[in-house]
Amino acid sequence: MIIDSGLRVSLRHRNFFIVLILVGATFCLLPYWLDDYRLHVVIVSLFYVMMASSWNLLAGYTGQVSFAHAAFAGIGAYTSGILAVKAGMNPWLGVMMGTILAGFLGVCLGFLCIKMGGIYLSLTTLAFSEILHIIIINEYEVTRGTMGLQVPALMVEYSKAAYLYIMLAATVLTLIIIYTVIHSNLGLNFRAVQNDESAAASLGVHVVQIRVLAFTVSCALAGFAGGLYGHYLLLITPEIPSLDQQFLVLAMAVIGGMGSFLGPIIGSFVLEILSEYIRAYGEYHVLVFGLVALAMARFSPNGLTGLMDRLGSRRSSI
Amino acid sequence: MFSLAIMNGLAIGVIYALAALGVSLVVGIMNVINFAHGEFYVLAGYFSFLFADALGWNPYLSMLVAVGLVFLFGIFIEYIFIRPTYGNDMYSLILTFILVIVLQNAYLLIFGPYPHKPPNWVTGATSIFNLFYYGNQRLAAAVAGAMVITAVFALIKKTWFGRIIRAASQDREMAELNGVNTAQLNMLSFGLGCALAGTAGVILTPVFPVTPSAGVPVALTAFVVVVLGGMGSMWGCVVGGLLLGLVENLGAAFISTGYKHIFGFIILILVLLVRPAGLFGRKEI
Repeated sequence: MIIDSGLRVSLRHRNFFIVLILVGATFCLLPYWLDDYRLHVVIVSLFYVMMASSWNLLAGYTGQVSFAHAAFAGIGAYTSGILAVKAGMNPWLGVMMGTILAGFLGVCLGFLCIKMGGIYLSLTTLAFSEILHIIIINEYEVTRGTMGLQVPALMVEYSKAAYLYIMLAATVLTLIIIYTVIHSNLGLNFRAVQNDESAAASLGVHVVQIRVLAFTVSCALAGFAGGLYGHYLLLITPEIPSLDQQFLVLAMAVIGGMGSFLGPIIGSFVLEILSEYIRAYGEYHVLVFGLVALAMARFSPNGLTGLMDRLGSRRSSI
Repeated sequence: MFSLAIMNGLAIGVIYALAALGVSLVVGIMNVINFAHGEFYVLAGYFSFLFADALGWNPYLSMLVAVGLVFLFGIFIEYIFIRPTYGNDMYSLILTFILVIVLQNAYLLIFGPYPHKPPNWVTGATSIFNLFYYGNQRLAAAVAGAMVITAVFALIKKTWFGRIIRAASQDREMAELNGVNTAQLNMLSFGLGCALAGTAGVILTPVFPVTPSAGVPVALTAFVVVVLGGMGSMWGCVVGGLLLGLVENLGAAFISTGYKHIFGFIILILVLLVRPAGLFGRKEI
């Protein structure tokens, strides 16, 4: 019996990897079909997939809301960018440094406030992201302030197709990490901590450590995504660690469906592609997404994936 | 320079305390942090500008109407969005954060990016101990802020409604058993918290004109004050507000003006490191 269920679980894991490989292979063919502008939209969507999925790892699986996810992407981007511009460091090495720094700051912030409960994490991360914004704008000699910091590309010859492959590889890596974490013992602890803190603690789960760990992993993944994104845009501005950006990531996870693996991925693509269409009429996409996210969070807390599940189960019950 | 910074710190500290009282009230009773606190502040500022400047009403009347409207808007928000999230702190955090972005963008769409301010109540300046001249409008704002804080203290400490609020924030279930309608209480206190943000807004907008994103630093300062004073503590708000006002203005005067808001963050980190419950906080909240 136990062997049988183990077999089923490993089969499910195998299915995940098969789907991932098939979808990834389809994306590899995109440069043959799409022009540069559409490729750009896909690349940006992939960046948001990384951001929203790693934010979801924290919010959807451990029930903690961080408002500094965009700030940590900014830390990744600026670390890598400044190292490349001022010290001439290889951008790839810079992205790794950015990831490590984001993870390190995540540990520090996490230990500082998580023991006090969820509200403190949200407050502190919100303050942190504002402070980062102030520092970036004030230290314009290093960061070039609102002008933006020009950074070198990841490869010698700039091409959208090459960046698509890089971002795709990074996204697949991020998704595999998140999938592995969720389906490991650790993921079980995450869920336990989210569902009932005291019950989890009574069963020997170290609640604070688990939460800090989830926060750290999520911050490091954001730093990784931000570092790559900065070297794709070639211009790092305070827009990357802004509250608007943070909101977009949050809205993608909320509208797609928090606490599900697929939700943030769907949300990222839907919102990024929609925002390109809305942009034709002016800068209303943030307001529109805000209203939709409000309605979603209020009436369908499980997002689009939850809606689809509900429709699917209704049809099957008929 | 030094005495001017002290004066500025005390004057602005009163308003910080006022804004923080609203946050503290809502946290104490509902265990909900209203991230859109600053946006209610901005909304009241815009209303008072609209009525006094565009419609030409009496400035005092337009302030009253502005605060009243913000109170009603707060009640509406509680009824529609916050009420279904009780027991799930995460969703109230997410909802109020989304509300921040929605309101900011709506203000930008309606009022444009330029600063707006209602007319001053008073003009001129007064000499303070023959040391320096201080703007009368700022003095009036500080006095008005202190008066509103006193009124709130009287409401909470002396009236029947205040007794209900204190009972509910100490032990919710016990209050319910004694016949308190906590759903209605939540609605009223959320509206009251928003109205306090709005009061700070109408008092401060003649000095600092409002822009669509002016609410964020105000809200962050209020949050720092609440953590510094201890979540749910009213005296903590007053002491914390004055303290933060002083630190920020002394820091701005002697260290760097660009980093004015960073001192609040340093205080936040120090508090979390040394005394996480805050100055007047209860151990567990």
